[in-house]
Amino acid sequence: MAPQLRSRVAIGAAALLALGAGIGLALFDRAPADASALLALTLPDPSGHPQPLSQWQGKVLVVNFWATWCGPCREEMPDLVRAQKEYGAKGLQIVGIAADDADKVQQFAKEIQLNYPALIGGYAAIDLSKDLGNSLVALPFTLVVDRQGKVAYTHLGPVKPDKLRDVITKLL
Amino acid sequence: MTRPAARVLAIAALLALALPALGQVHPLSPDKAFLFSAKALDAQTVEARFTIADGYYLYRDKIRFAIDPASGALLTPALPAGKIKQDEFFGRVETYRGSVTVNLAVRNFTPGKPLVIHAESQGCADVGICYPPTTQTATVALPAGSIVPSAPEAPKKTWFN
Repeated sequence: MAPQLRSRVAIGAAALLALGAGIGLALFDRAPADASALLALTLPDPSGHPQPLSQWQGKVLVVNFWATWCGPCREEMPDLVRAQKEYGAKGLQIVGIAADDADKVQQFAKEIQLNYPALIGGYAAIDLSKDLGNSLVALPFTLVVDRQGKVAYTHLGPVKPDKLRDVITKLL
Repeated sequence: MTRPAARVLAIAALLALALPALGQVHPLSPDKAFLFSAKALDAQTVEARFTIADGYYLYRDKIRFAIDPASGALLTPALPAGKIKQDEFFGRVETYRGSVTVNLAVRNFTPGKPLVIHAESQGCADVGICYPPTTQTATVALPAGSIVPSAPEAPKKTWFN
């Protein structure tokens, strides 16, 4: 390959990679400034008891927006259960916010032996996630809040377990 | 290999590498992924259609139609059979890909007036995301005049019968 062409190809490759990374960052991993609106929320658990999210302030908080009608959400939840088991003692708290009915949530939680709280948010909860970077208002949507209450990471679609581990361990 | 040919190949190879990554991070909004449209077939029938983008699917039992103004009535026939999938949690679930069309019968509606159709749908993308129920609307002008007979058309004669 001629040197001139080689450099052009290299520039082209760099541009394409940058474009791909840029779109990826813009759509999937955009982290808004702080999570105060989220931490100010109080949502019922499946038995109807109000649970303020502020009770977990100071922990590394992973908030997962999900629903039983969302197959990809259900598929990734065993990974979240494992992460809670592994890092819970070190200060990780996972909280699920379901755009769903309490009975369905309860049934599924029992099925997978959910070891973190599942709060009932209804469709309004997905709308809330829109302000937190979920511009498509789709599920699953996960965000990680650091101990200071800043959003450290957001992701639309199932989070790869390795990626989640990376993000969490840096913050713990 | 000539230089232009090498260049074309190099660019094609790079695009092949870059495109799947782009596809994964660019999900459509639900109204584009599940594009709703409607047209009048006659004075009392509307053809409703969802055009579903590649890599997306709709749930059959989440599709609903309603009309505006509510003085009219809408008869929704059974939706066509979808592709059956065994869901671990919900059991038997039917989904559509590509497109789905259904003829809605409109009753007690004044012909010649615009009819607003609301279509609710819910689906997911293969990249691993699902959308909450989305409502889209389409306005249809039902033709004024005589009511088209509802009896089925006689089969058209073709060259082999």
